[in-house]
Amino acid sequence: MNPPTSVPPYSNTDGAIPDAEGDALLLKRMAAGDEQALGVLYDRWHAMVHAVVVRVLREREDVDSVVEEAFFQAWRQADRYAEGRGSVQTWLLTIARSRALDRVRAVRRLREDPLETGFDGQVSMQVSSSDPGRDVEVSERRAIVRDALASLPDEQRQALELGYYGGLSQSEIADHTGQPLGTVKTRMRLAMQKLRDRLEILHEDVR
Amino acid sequence: MRAAMTHEEATQELSGLSLDVLDAIDRAAVLAHVVGCTLCTAELARLRRDAAQLLYVVDPLPMSDAQRERIRARLHERVEAQKRSTPPIAVAVDDADVIPLDRARAVRSDVGRSSRGGVPGWMALAAGIVAVASVGLLMRERASRRDLVASVQESQGERARSVAAADSLRGVVEDRDRLLAQLTGAQVQVVTLASTGTQAPSARMFWDQSVNAWTFVAHGLPQPKLGRCYQLWLVTPSAKISAGVFAPDATGDALVRATYELPAGSLAAVAVTDEPVAGSAQPTTVPIIVGTTTL
Repeated sequence: MNPPTSVPPYSNTDGAIPDAEGDALLLKRMAAGDEQALGVLYDRWHAMVHAVVVRVLREREDVDSVVEEAFFQAWRQADRYAEGRGSVQTWLLTIARSRALDRVRAVRRLREDPLETGFDGQVSMQVSSSDPGRDVEVSERRAIVRDALASLPDEQRQALELGYYGGLSQSEIADHTGQPLGTVKTRMRLAMQKLRDRLEILHEDVR
Repeated sequence: MRAAMTHEEATQELSGLSLDVLDAIDRAAVLAHVVGCTLCTAELARLRRDAAQLLYVVDPLPMSDAQRERIRARLHERVEAQKRSTPPIAVAVDDADVIPLDRARAVRSDVGRSSRGGVPGWMALAAGIVAVASVGLLMRERASRRDLVASVQESQGERARSVAAADSLRGVVEDRDRLLAQLTGAQVQVVTLASTGTQAPSARMFWDQSVNAWTFVAHGLPQPKLGRCYQLWLVTPSAKISAGVFAPDATGDALVRATYELPAGSLAAVAVTDEPVAGSAQPTTVPIIVGTTTL
């Protein structure tokens, strides 16, 4: 018996949509049912979406399905993207993180796993897309965010990472770190206050 | 269930809300405050904008070609499935190794001809038995194959139903997320409506100007009389635009969502009037609740 075959009508090499076409325009086309635009968006951002998902899930298990889920959600909700609220890539990465956190929390509830730590597995593989300008922009953004995070006191950064990338609630972070809940809340609040100034530059030229 | 948060309490929790790290009870309490607080709404939007930038801390992580194409193919399948209103279940079966029944009959005919050519009777009989048994086996195999196909189809149907159910549930969650965004977005303006009568219904209208979305939330509305309902109006200096008719639930609460493009600065008021269930072209009664604004 042969498995059903299904070939997408797009590929990463057909070039039917110019690479320079804006992400926001791609979403408009997706909202109109243009699956080829989804393919272009996928080719542009799969490596970043993949990285975010791996960062949150840590294990490779379920990574593929979460990446798939993120792009499928982008396809279904393309008409809901509001340009004034931020860039398409931020919107897409936020979706990816949310879906990855859903998976982490669901698995944790299912297994009643003890909390895991170890968010030091930062992936540093580099990939080059077909748009050097976009690569540079993302790299600059990454450098600014990393500098901003590095400027935080260790305990604030730890609280932020456990919550933001690890999907732990503040109560769980308090349990995990042995700190009072109020201390955790304060650390996260202070961290966000400090990040605001340092990240402000990123919001000045939102596409 | 915890008591309502004060503004100061809620302010302290906004960072946690923006990072999605609050416990469920705290989250609900903060949100309950945020939906009615323009200061917290704006601050939450700023915090969320900052929090989203943290996603850029990771380096791009390329997938293998096989992984990338596997996901691409599954995406395509799901998109296609979504496009089809009633997805047909197709199963590709390679029948090349199944001997058609007519060919099986030919085998039996051949055996018969051999018999007429002088083959001993017992051999012909044995060959006949073998042929009949073979045909039986072939038919059984074919039946088994049909069962297998049916089983695969059933499994695929079950999977399609599961995916549809999951997508449906996801739709509910997304709808709530969307509502939340329309209540707390950076460009959301809020109009508070006050009662004009002796009873004390209260309401707020959230106008997300970025997507022209209107979300009206009311509490304490009395039940309309038989044949009557409430009608929501967007009042501009030059027109009264209906945003829909509605009825509150048993507890007097109501939620109305509408999409309507209105230029910034043109909204003079939001009002609710008592109207026939079919609605009216223009208000026919004094508003029971109204809020003025210069948004």
